[in-house]
Amino acid sequence: MRKLTLLAAPLLLSSALSFGAAYQLNLQGLRQLAMGGGGTAWPWDVSTLFYNPAGLSRLSGVEAYGSVQFIMPSTSYAQSPPAGYYTASTKMQTFPTVNFYLGGPLQKGSKWGLGIGLYTPYGDGLRWDNTWAGSNVIQNIDLRTIFIQPTVSYRINDFISAGIGFIYATGSVDLKQALPVQDQNGNNGQADLSGQGNGTGFNAGLQIKATDKLQFGITYRSKVNMRLNGGDAKFTVPSSLSGYFPNTSFNSSLPLPAVLSVGVGCRPIKNLVIQADVNFTQWNAFDSLNFDYAQTTAQLHNTHLPFRYKNTVTYRLGANYAISHKIALMVGGAWDPTPVQNGFVSPVLPDADRIVLTGGVTYKPLERLTILAAFEYVTSAKRDGNYDYSNFGGTYQTKAATPAIGLCYNF
Amino acid sequence: MVYNMKKIYIIGCLAALSFAACKPNLNSSKPSAGPLDLSVYVAVGNSLTAGYADNSLYREGQLNSYPKRLSEQFALVGGGAFVQPLLPSSAAYPTPQYVLAPTTSCTGTVSLGPVPSSDTNGTGNGNNIASQGPFNNVGVPGIRAVDYLLAGYGVLNPYAGRFYANPSTQTPLDEALRLKATFYSVWLGSNDVLGYATSGGAGSVAPAVPFPGDISPLPLFQYEYDSVIGALFKNGAKGVLINIPDVTAIPFFTTIPHNGLTLSAAQAAGLNAAYAGTGITFKAGANNFIIQDAASPIGLRMMKDDELVLLTTPQDSLTCGGWGSLKPIPANYILDETEISNVKSYTESYNQVILTAATKYNLAYVDMNSYLKTLATGILFNGVNYNAQYVNGGAFSLDGVHLTPRGYALVANKILSVINQHYSANIPLTDVNKYGGIRFP
Repeated sequence: MRKLTLLAAPLLLSSALSFGAAYQLNLQGLRQLAMGGGGTAWPWDVSTLFYNPAGLSRLSGVEAYGSVQFIMPSTSYAQSPPAGYYTASTKMQTFPTVNFYLGGPLQKGSKWGLGIGLYTPYGDGLRWDNTWAGSNVIQNIDLRTIFIQPTVSYRINDFISAGIGFIYATGSVDLKQALPVQDQNGNNGQADLSGQGNGTGFNAGLQIKATDKLQFGITYRSKVNMRLNGGDAKFTVPSSLSGYFPNTSFNSSLPLPAVLSVGVGCRPIKNLVIQADVNFTQWNAFDSLNFDYAQTTAQLHNTHLPFRYKNTVTYRLGANYAISHKIALMVGGAWDPTPVQNGFVSPVLPDADRIVLTGGVTYKPLERLTILAAFEYVTSAKRDGNYDYSNFGGTYQTKAATPAIGLCYNF
Repeated sequence: MVYNMKKIYIIGCLAALSFAACKPNLNSSKPSAGPLDLSVYVAVGNSLTAGYADNSLYREGQLNSYPKRLSEQFALVGGGAFVQPLLPSSAAYPTPQYVLAPTTSCTGTVSLGPVPSSDTNGTGNGNNIASQGPFNNVGVPGIRAVDYLLAGYGVLNPYAGRFYANPSTQTPLDEALRLKATFYSVWLGSNDVLGYATSGGAGSVAPAVPFPGDISPLPLFQYEYDSVIGALFKNGAKGVLINIPDVTAIPFFTTIPHNGLTLSAAQAAGLNAAYAGTGITFKAGANNFIIQDAASPIGLRMMKDDELVLLTTPQDSLTCGGWGSLKPIPANYILDETEISNVKSYTESYNQVILTAATKYNLAYVDMNSYLKTLATGILFNGVNYNAQYVNGGAFSLDGVHLTPRGYALVANKILSVINQHYSANIPLTDVNKYGGIRFP
């Protein structure tokens, strides 16, 4: 019999080694979160550093702000006959994210504001069962980012202010996929890619206070290209194939897209503020994802995965109602269309048009201290789609609940 | 009022922290058999139907046969029990199956290759198990369409003899009719041409009395095939007929390249000297093998580009024994142009017979020949790419002819798709990647 002196073509990784699309999070300030995720026009507190750096110089004083959000996503999957009537769900996980901001006008009445912020604008986490039907597409994805943003803001006059922040982004990614090589017991192999990366960008904005009752804002947060250099590529395969799947390192990059936001806020009556935001997200930056391995073999080739995201426009609407000096209530919602086109719907990020419902409350037990609580509920339409690259399809639905709590202290 | 509503909203959301409420609930729609009664399904065929793999019949292969896969999917839409003539223990019958293991070549190179399994737990594997029947899977390795009306066939073929009710008197057709099937699958005819191909064309083409290794004459094939189909479906059973794949595209014939003779300049010069005056010349690099050819005045010639080398050609003889260079590769390891043409033309003619029968009885017809050709370019299933390469491709077992459990599952899905289309049914496909492929040490 012919011996296996030549294993010619790639077994693996001709199949998809999929990686998470950027999962955009809008959890950077709890008041804004509770109002549907908008805040471009109105400088609510020091978390305006994220929503519009121009608002920093309009705050009444220096503030310290910290919050924690608990994202709890769940995705379900079903195959329709005749493909099979298999169903699966991701395991329940909680992803905590934190925000921290410090800053405000240099002194009372100063035209200059300075501050620094730390927040998480992108993340993704889905854990499917290791042997589920899509395991050769993805088993587990965990993407985390943290942005650190020192910021300066200048109040040109009572009418207009400007601000800009430098972004240093750092993050990690871990993804696991079953490999279609089986050991003597019939168990699949596994690829585990994990790495750390960083990138830079900026966040700039203008805010216009037309009247006491009407404000406008515009913010541009640049694209941040996260470079992952020297990530670990670990392969669990039968020992006779270990030479074809050497544990090696990889380089990759993940574009976190630019977002242009415009907003308007108005105060029709004394205790009520209503605001609306529109976000234009340049998702087309996420065209494909490439993994370049330090060592390739006849079986292990560099991987180029198509995603072909399209740009999106998100609409956000929210209101803040002050019941008293101490208590305010917020409510809002958003329509967040998906950047994922038909043919690119994968279990890595089975995205669909999302409806976001939010609410929250703030309470001031002391004159300078505010306690904030917010809740976000995201549901997506059921989406029947296919990831052509892996020829894997089905119906997906994702829901996520995110409770959040925070503190803000005004010095 | 506004206050209260919002408060309630927030409390409602916090209650959702238990998250049962946040888990999407997707229900798939229900499958259906359409007009089909799948309560008694019988699979008629040869080694492919029996679940033969890795150069032998063994229990794990049987448990992963495509009829077994079909029966599991049928069970979702009213299908009944499916009894296979399983071997009583794990060992293959009658010879061990191949497994992958490190082997050392004549040059001392260690590489993975197929070796006989050391599983010897095979006592009694040839004993007749007819008392466990009647069986839903009557696939018999080696059986041809032209054997199907032969009384006493069980004496000639031990794979039949081990489960036929009356091996010495009955015909294979009798065994297929023991159950009053409501649904038949028939994948017959491959061996009417395969034996000729895998013996390098050693047999005869369409002799009056075809033995295994010959190509069956078309009129006989047609007579027997039509008789079998007529008998199976005369009582109104429904079913599916599957045509014959072109065997020249399988790894058994495509793994060893025709130009596998790699020479240095010095080696080429040496061979040119040895072959001076014959018109045969060599060059540095890849050269076509030298093969035996009785039609040539010198009894040998250089292989043509479209001719095929069998997987069973001894590798050590090629590497160290001078086969293909100083000595010609014996003709029984080569499928030459004429032989390939015989195989292809008879495959085509047999498939015409099968198509005609399917049309006549209004049965579903699976063009497995075309489907398996798509394996050459690759079939992508849920992130795994299957192709027709030996070992790497994942679909063909270590004998290069029969399939892995995953390959058989692909075949089952193809058959299900055609059944669904022909009978307007909605029978779910199976998850190919769930089953075994090639196992590596």
